[in-house]
Amino acid sequence: MNTDDLVRHLAKETRPVGRNSVARRLAIGMAAGGTGSAILILIALGMRPDLGTAMQGTSFWMKWGYTFSLAVAALMTTAQLARPDSGRLRGLWLLVIPVVLLAGIGFLELARTPSSQWLAMWLGESWKSCPWMVLSLSAPIFAGLLWSFRRLAPTRLRAAGAAAGLSAGAFAATVYCLHCPEVSAIFVLTWYSLGIVLATLLGMLVGPRLLRW
Amino acid sequence: MQTTEEHLRALMIDGLNGDAKAHEALLRLLVPLLRGFYRRRLRGADDDVEDMVQETLIAVHTRRATYDRERPFTAWLYAVARYKMIDHLRRVGRLRPIEDYDEWLTAADFEASSIARLDVDDLLQGLPDKQARAIRATRIEGLSVAEAASAEGIGESDVKVSVHRGLKALMGRVQGALR
Repeated sequence: MNTDDLVRHLAKETRPVGRNSVARRLAIGMAAGGTGSAILILIALGMRPDLGTAMQGTSFWMKWGYTFSLAVAALMTTAQLARPDSGRLRGLWLLVIPVVLLAGIGFLELARTPSSQWLAMWLGESWKSCPWMVLSLSAPIFAGLLWSFRRLAPTRLRAAGAAAGLSAGAFAATVYCLHCPEVSAIFVLTWYSLGIVLATLLGMLVGPRLLRW
Repeated sequence: MQTTEEHLRALMIDGLNGDAKAHEALLRLLVPLLRGFYRRRLRGADDDVEDMVQETLIAVHTRRATYDRERPFTAWLYAVARYKMIDHLRRVGRLRPIEDYDEWLTAADFEASSIARLDVDDLLQGLPDKQARAIRATRIEGLSVAEAASAEGIGESDVKVSVHRGLKALMGRVQGALR
């Protein structure tokens, strides 16, 4: 096709683009993927039976707050990396806040618990499976974000892949709260975070291949 | 026909607001810019230039949501063009080592120099062809007067006079614009 025809052809489909369309598109991808992960939990794992009562306690909201705020901060970074002229990243330090807060809670928890119980508290019932659950549940969310990126223009693919992986991992952990009965902060800080870090590394690994455009 | 940053940016924003005419005008204005961009960088690969131009136009169109209305348009455009070129070089895996390219492509002053080049192109367009060519050869491409003269098939003094007159005219125009 010659260039003139191409220009005419492209201009024919000029649709208005909203100001926040990058953020909106990423949010849609993440929400759609998150729905997929939630369905996966319902089918394969089942909700925690005491979800209703757990939602009245603080530990549920501690876990949820940690993972969800991490997911939001990660998505903000992803949105910056989705533009070709991303330049210096702003707000990266926001990612540290949830970690520091949760570490603080964990420290208080340890101070209040006799040291003989520390190990049991740290390992909980599910430390072996938890990181892998988070990693698996991040797959549908990562796929949702890949859909978002089809209209976006990252130029630092490794960084964008890592940011998308981090968003997917953190949001997968948020969804995993529906199933996971663990209550201690140091458990969440270690094993949830490990799953999230694995998702980030995987995103970094596949970013250059899957985010090319 | 004007290809300044403000003009392109205004067209882009109108296009984002759904104005198909502005969007078409923008894409048309980008064609010569992109041709220049790729021709300078893909020396000896003329077949690829038009492919790259088209591929970049498609990317500009389909991924225009990533342009932030508050930021310079040319910087965004060249970021897209540069990405497309690095991707192209990586894909064909030939020409020069890519690390080398990456380095000078991402040099901090790259965008600034591209924009400056646009301005120079603009200014030179207002001159008679001969004067513009003489200035481009001796002052921008760095040829000597003798080289420029033999390339054009004219005398050395002819080149000197053209450069002199052209620069004088440009000076007058720039000063006039500043006043």
